[in-house]
Amino acid sequence: MKNTWNLFCLALILAILTACGNSGEEESTSNESGSTDESEESAGEVNLYTGRHYDTDQALYDQFTEETGIKVNVIQGKDDELIARLEREGQASEADVFMTADAGRLHRAEDLELLQSFESDVLNENIPENLRETDNQWYGLTKRARIIAYHPDRVNPEEIQDYSDLTSEDMAGRVLIRSSDNIYNQSLVASMIAIDGEEAAKEWAQGIVNNMARDPEGGDRDQAKGIASGEGDVAVMNTYYLGQMLNSEDEEEVKVAEQLEVVFPNQDTTGTHINISGAGITSSSKNVENAQKFIEFLSSESAQEQFAETNYEYPANPNVEASELLQSWGEFKEQDINLSELGENNNRAIQIMNEVGWK
Amino acid sequence: MKLFRKLPGYLNIWTVLSMIIVILILLPNLSILINFFTERAENWEHIQEFILPNLLKNTSLILVFTGFFAIFIGTSLAWLVSAYDFPMKRFFKWALILPLAIPPYIAGYTYNGILNYTGVIQTTLRNNWDITVNQSYFNILNMPGAIFIFTLFLFPYVYTITRAFLSHQSAALVENARLLGRNAWEIYFRVVIPISRGAIVGGVSLVLLEVLNDYGLVSYFGVPTFSTAIFQTWFGMNDLNSAIKLSATLMFIVFALLIIEKLLRGRKKYSATTAKVRPLTPIKLRGAKAWTAFSYCFFIFMLGFLIPFIQMIDWTILTFEKIASPVFTQLMMNSLLVSFVGASLVMVFAVIIANFSRMHQSFFSKSAARVTILGYSIPGAVIAVGISTVFIDIDNFLFKFYETMGMEASLFLSTSLFILISAYIIRFLAIGYNSVEAGFDKIGNKYTEASRMLGLNLTKTFFKVDLRMIKVPIISGFILAFIDILKELPLTLILRPFNFDTLATKAYQYANDEQIQEASLASIIIVVISAIAIYVFHQVLEKEPK
Repeated sequence: MKNTWNLFCLALILAILTACGNSGEEESTSNESGSTDESEESAGEVNLYTGRHYDTDQALYDQFTEETGIKVNVIQGKDDELIARLEREGQASEADVFMTADAGRLHRAEDLELLQSFESDVLNENIPENLRETDNQWYGLTKRARIIAYHPDRVNPEEIQDYSDLTSEDMAGRVLIRSSDNIYNQSLVASMIAIDGEEAAKEWAQGIVNNMARDPEGGDRDQAKGIASGEGDVAVMNTYYLGQMLNSEDEEEVKVAEQLEVVFPNQDTTGTHINISGAGITSSSKNVENAQKFIEFLSSESAQEQFAETNYEYPANPNVEASELLQSWGEFKEQDINLSELGENNNRAIQIMNEVGWK
Repeated sequence: MKLFRKLPGYLNIWTVLSMIIVILILLPNLSILINFFTERAENWEHIQEFILPNLLKNTSLILVFTGFFAIFIGTSLAWLVSAYDFPMKRFFKWALILPLAIPPYIAGYTYNGILNYTGVIQTTLRNNWDITVNQSYFNILNMPGAIFIFTLFLFPYVYTITRAFLSHQSAALVENARLLGRNAWEIYFRVVIPISRGAIVGGVSLVLLEVLNDYGLVSYFGVPTFSTAIFQTWFGMNDLNSAIKLSATLMFIVFALLIIEKLLRGRKKYSATTAKVRPLTPIKLRGAKAWTAFSYCFFIFMLGFLIPFIQMIDWTILTFEKIASPVFTQLMMNSLLVSFVGASLVMVFAVIIANFSRMHQSFFSKSAARVTILGYSIPGAVIAVGISTVFIDIDNFLFKFYETMGMEASLFLSTSLFILISAYIIRFLAIGYNSVEAGFDKIGNKYTEASRMLGLNLTKTFFKVDLRMIKVPIISGFILAFIDILKELPLTLILRPFNFDTLATKAYQYANDEQIQEASLASIIIVVISAIAIYVFHQVLEKEPK
C-alpha cells in the first residue's frame, strides 16, 4: 500500500520535473534567438501563429528551414483565438508571423494594431496588388472561391448563374448551405454588403433562408453529400473542399463529388466571391528579418506550387498555375473589392443572418 | 508546527491552502467578469432580440433530456453491475466507462460518418441492394442527435460515481430491503435511487456542465447554444462585452443548477450506521434475466464504444499510409505528460478543498466548494482568455525579477507548460472535487472525529485516517481527470507553448478541416490510452482490500 503511494509520488515528481525541463528548454532556445549579439547562433528562428492546419504547410516550413537554416516554431490554433492571444500578449509576444485563412481576420488583426507594415520587393513582385493590404501590413498567399455546386440531372446551370438566382422561387426547398456560424458564409454576406449594400444583402439572406432544403447543418462536405442524397439540388461550398473530396481516400466521397458540377457565380456581373489565406508580421516581432524571409518564401513559386497542388487552393502568385483540377473548372472573374471590407462588414453580416433566422 | 497551534482554530494550514486555491481559480474568472459591469455591450440588444430566446430554449432542452437519459442509463447500469451477477459482468464493470474515452465531438463526427450518405450503412444498402433511404431517418445532425451523442458519451460520469457509491455503501440497506421481500424494481426506485442521490447528482452535474461548455459538437450539428453564441458574438461580431454577458448568463444558469443540486442532496449528511464499510453481495441472475441484463449492458457498450471504435479503426486503416509518421510517438508522450501531471495536481487540490469544506461549516468553506465548479462550466476558450490575462499580468509584474535572475524579461510563465497545466487544474478541479466529496460524504465525519478525540491533529488525522478511506474516490477522480485532460481541446489549443502538439490538437487539425478519416489515427490513440487507463485503475480498485 505504502509502496503504491511512494511510487506514484515519485512518478509525479519526475513528470513535473520533465514538464518544467521541457518548458525551460523552450524558454532558453527562444531567449538565445532574442539576443542578437550571439554571433555563433545559426540563422535563428521565426515564431509563427497560424490558423491554417494542413500537413502541407508543415512540409513547407520544413523546407524553409532546410533552405535557410531558420527554425520555424509553430503554434497552430483557431484563428480568432490566436488574434485574442496576440492582443493580450501585446509587445511582449514572442510571435513574429501571424497567418490565417480569412481576409476579415487579417483585417481585424490590422485594426487591433497587431501587425506592422513592411516593404518587400519579392512580395510586390509575387503577389498581385489586390491581394496585398494597402499599407503592406499583410499579404495574401492562397485563394479559395465560394462556388455553387449542383447536380446536372436536376438543375440547369443556366438557372444558377448568380448568387441571387439561389433566392428565386424555382429554388424553393432545394438550396443547401451551412450555418451562419461559419466564417465563409459570413464573409460571403459581408462581400454582398460591400458590393450591393445592406438592404440587398439582407434580402438575399432572407431568400436563402426561404429556399433552404433543410436546416443548416454539418460542414461544406455535408452540403455536397446533401445533393447526392437528393435532399437538395444546389449547394454553396468552397472549391478546395470539392477538390479534397475528389481526392479522398474514401471512394464513396469521390463518387459523390464526381456527380457534381460547379458554377462560378456572377461572372457577368460582380464576380465570384473569393477569400484568401494570408500572413503578416506582428508588431511585436523580434525577428523581423526572418519573418520577412519566411513570408517571401511562402510567396515563392516553389512554395506556391505546393499550396496549389496539394491543397486545391488557387495560388496567389500569378506565375504559378493552379492544379489540374482547378484549371479544368476554367478561369473566372473574381469579386472586385478590397478584401479588408470583408472584415469591416463581418459584424453586420452576422446581425443580418440572425435577423433573417439563418441558423 | 508550533506557529500553527497558536493560530485561532479556524485558521489552519487547510484554510490557508484552500484560500490560495480559491483565489487562483477566481482570478481568471474575475478578470473576465469585471468587464461585465463596466462596459457597454454594443450588440446586446440585438442578441436579446434575435438570439437569446432560441439559446435558452435549445440549451434547456438539451440539458433536461441529456440529464434525464444519463441518469437513467448511468444508475441502471451501476445498479445492475453492483447488485447482480450475469455473463461478462466483470468486463462490463469497466467497459461501461469506455465511452468517456471518446470526446463527444469526435463521436459526433464519427456517427455522422456512419449514418450519412457516404456512410457504411447507406452505401451498403445502396451498392448491394440498390436501396436508397429517406435521409431524414438517418440524419443525426440535429438536436435529438446531439442529445443522443451527449448521453451516450457522458453517462459514464453518472455510472462511475454511482457505482463506486453503491458497491461500497449500500450493502446494509439493500440487503435489508431484499430480506423484507422487496423486488428488484422496488429496491431500485425506493432504495437505490434515494440513497445514491448524492452520487447521482454529483455525476449528472458533471454531465450537464460538460454539455454546457461543449462547442465542437453543437456547432457541427448546427444546434445553436450558449457556447456557439459566445463565439459568434465575441469573434464574429468582435464584441467581447456581449460575449461576456452571455458567459455571465451561462454562469447564472450554472449556479442555478448548483443550487438545485444542493437542494436535491438535501441537508442531511449520510454517515454510515455501521463501522464496517462492506461490499454488496451480488445475486446471481439465471436464464432469460441474465441474458436481458447482458443484452442491455452490451447494447449500451456497443453504441457508446464498440461501433464508433470500429469505425475509427476502419478509417485509420484507410488513411494510415498517408498520415502515419514518427511524430505520433512525440504527440503521445506530450499528451501523457500533461495528463498525468495535470490530473495528479487536480486531485491534490481537490482533496485540500474538499477536506477543508468538510471540516468547516462556514460560508467561506461552502463557497470554496462551489468555486471549484466555475472553471468547468464556462466554455474552455473563455476560461483560456481569463487565465492568460492573469498570467501575462503576473509575467509583466515579474519582469524585474526575471532580469535580476539573469533571464531575458519576457512572457515566461504564460508561454510555458506552466500555464497549460494551471489551466487544466482550474478547468477540471470540479471532476476531482466531486469525486472526493462523494467519498467524504460516504465515510461521514465519525472516523475523523474519533481520531481527533484520540489526540491526532487535523493534518495527521488527514494522512493517517481520511486519506486512506477515500482512496477509491481519489483514484476514480484521477482517472476521470486524466482522460478529460487527454482529450481536452480548447485550452490546449490556445495555451500551449511553441511546437507543443498533443494527440487532441492533432485530431482537431484534421477534424476541423472535415478530414474525419485522417483524424482517426490521433483519436484512436487517445481512445486506446484512455481505455488502458480505465482498465488499469479498475484493476487497482478491484484488488483493493475493502
